[in-house]
Amino acid sequence: MLSLQNVNAGYKGTDVIFNISLKVKEGENLCIIGPNGCGKTTLLKAISGLIPHKGSIKIDGIDINEMKRADMARKIGVLSQISTIYFSYSIYETVLLGRYLHMKGRTFKEPSSKDKEYTDKCLKAVGLYSIKDKQINELSGGQLQRVYLARTLAQEPDIILLDEPTNHLDLKHQADLIDFLRDWSKYEGHSVIGVMHDLNLAIKLSDKVLVLDKGRMAAYGNAHEVISSNLLNKVYDMNITEFMVDSLKLWESLDMPYHPEPKRRIS
Amino acid sequence: MKVKYKIILSIVFSFIAIMTGVGLGSIKVPPSHIINIIGNKVFSLPLQADIQGTAALSIIWNLRLPRTLLAFLVGGAVAVSGSVMQSVLKNPLASSYTLGVSSGASLGAALIIVTGFTIPFLGVFTLPVTGLVFGLATVFSAVKFAAMMDKSLETNTIILVGMVFSLFVNAMLTLVTAMARDHLAQLTYWQMGSFSLKDWSNVIILFPLVLIGVILIQNFSKEMDIMTFGEDQAFTMGVDVHKVKWSLLSLSAALTGSAVAFVGVIGFIDLIAPHVVRKIFGSSHKIVIPMSMLFGGSFMVICDLVARTIISPSELPVGAITALIGAPFFAYVYFSRRKGL
Repeated sequence: MLSLQNVNAGYKGTDVIFNISLKVKEGENLCIIGPNGCGKTTLLKAISGLIPHKGSIKIDGIDINEMKRADMARKIGVLSQISTIYFSYSIYETVLLGRYLHMKGRTFKEPSSKDKEYTDKCLKAVGLYSIKDKQINELSGGQLQRVYLARTLAQEPDIILLDEPTNHLDLKHQADLIDFLRDWSKYEGHSVIGVMHDLNLAIKLSDKVLVLDKGRMAAYGNAHEVISSNLLNKVYDMNITEFMVDSLKLWESLDMPYHPEPKRRIS
Repeated sequence: MKVKYKIILSIVFSFIAIMTGVGLGSIKVPPSHIINIIGNKVFSLPLQADIQGTAALSIIWNLRLPRTLLAFLVGGAVAVSGSVMQSVLKNPLASSYTLGVSSGASLGAALIIVTGFTIPFLGVFTLPVTGLVFGLATVFSAVKFAAMMDKSLETNTIILVGMVFSLFVNAMLTLVTAMARDHLAQLTYWQMGSFSLKDWSNVIILFPLVLIGVILIQNFSKEMDIMTFGEDQAFTMGVDVHKVKWSLLSLSAALTGSAVAFVGVIGFIDLIAPHVVRKIFGSSHKIVIPMSMLFGGSFMVICDLVARTIISPSELPVGAITALIGAPFFAYVYFSRRKGL
């Protein structure tokens, strides 16, 4: 589905990531981990087309440089960190915006019944349907993150990119979000590529893990093959086992990935 | 209250504002007479006996109606332009003036006033056309320069460059004004805006410009909604951000430029109307754009009515009235929203 071959990218002519090569198949989730400034967000921006890159990034065999913006958005949706709300919309209006590509050319018409139904479905999936008329500037960070998730789902992308999506969430909502995304990818055959600082969540979500160190691939592969205390200690330049919570230790002791069974269908 | 009822009420409010604007003045004319006069002129319907041969007929048709409609068009145009600029630049205080439309138009108008130059086939429209061209040239130069400095055309770059260009052009205007003291009163008056002595020719030229501009802008309503969440988000949702931004900045500048060119610089309505509309109708541009047109237009009609009647038979510059009413009103709308009053 997504393949990167020797990708370099950066800002104002200076590369921040170097020679990144990886493949993400349908239904597979990838987490990108590493210390601050190692190039995680830069890699996501390159994949989403927000910044130019060298090398090749292909989705379903087509180079993203040859794809139209609209075609690209049908393939990749981005759930970014919560930013300032300049003008408030209702939850429903915000999620409906995710149908933009599907509603194009309907400026002077009402959204189609399909668009409305899909918007309702996404709102129900994230548990916000009952408060859909509430203004988004009245929501907590966690609720707002779920609104943006519903909007990204409404876009119907094949791949969702996440940039530290759990920043504003409490523990329960962090776990819920990760469960939800795992179910979405497993049931629907989609993929999630996420940048995360929390190794527990990264392990819970991902099939594969990419560890970045100073913009280069320090390790890449199945989560349980890649993550080891020694590697993390080296990459993060600290004794990370002191800060590691039980799930990672537990996971390290297991022969199988630490993943619960998917529970929910989105569509 | 449901949105459609609010829209109906807004249309009624606009109608009342226009009728009041047309009806009040040195001679008071009731709405029924105004409608009768319009019916007579447009559809050749018979005039009521008590209107025939009166001064009201001429005053309404030749003076007040074109003046009031022009005020409505100008107010609507600058309000729509303001709502676009606020959304595109993600700044509640942004307007076309931020990018130097008024400075450019004022400089263009000042050069025509000072030199007395007339383009033969434009005649009396030399002044507004030159104002429009200079206003647009200033905005396009500012945006082009911003694009050269920052290829991604970041909002902050646009605002900053716009302010620099605006200040620079204002300095040139000050120089022109200083060197042509004989025209000082005329230049100052133009910069304060007025609908005085405007006739149907102004309305006939401005109406299609505003109509086309507003329809084209309305066509971008979804893109504007999405772009208020940030340009990176909009990009990843499939919006061609660069193209949309250029289109909207150009359309918005052209709307304000056209309006300012005809009647001079009139501030505050482009700031106030979008805020009032968002407060009443929410932020969806599908509603914000047409309602900004209605509210901006109505507000301008009321301000012009105040400007020409408060010290009648003399007239105040309408720009001063919009600022006098607008500044405290804007402070109330903006801060009450922030404090949740």
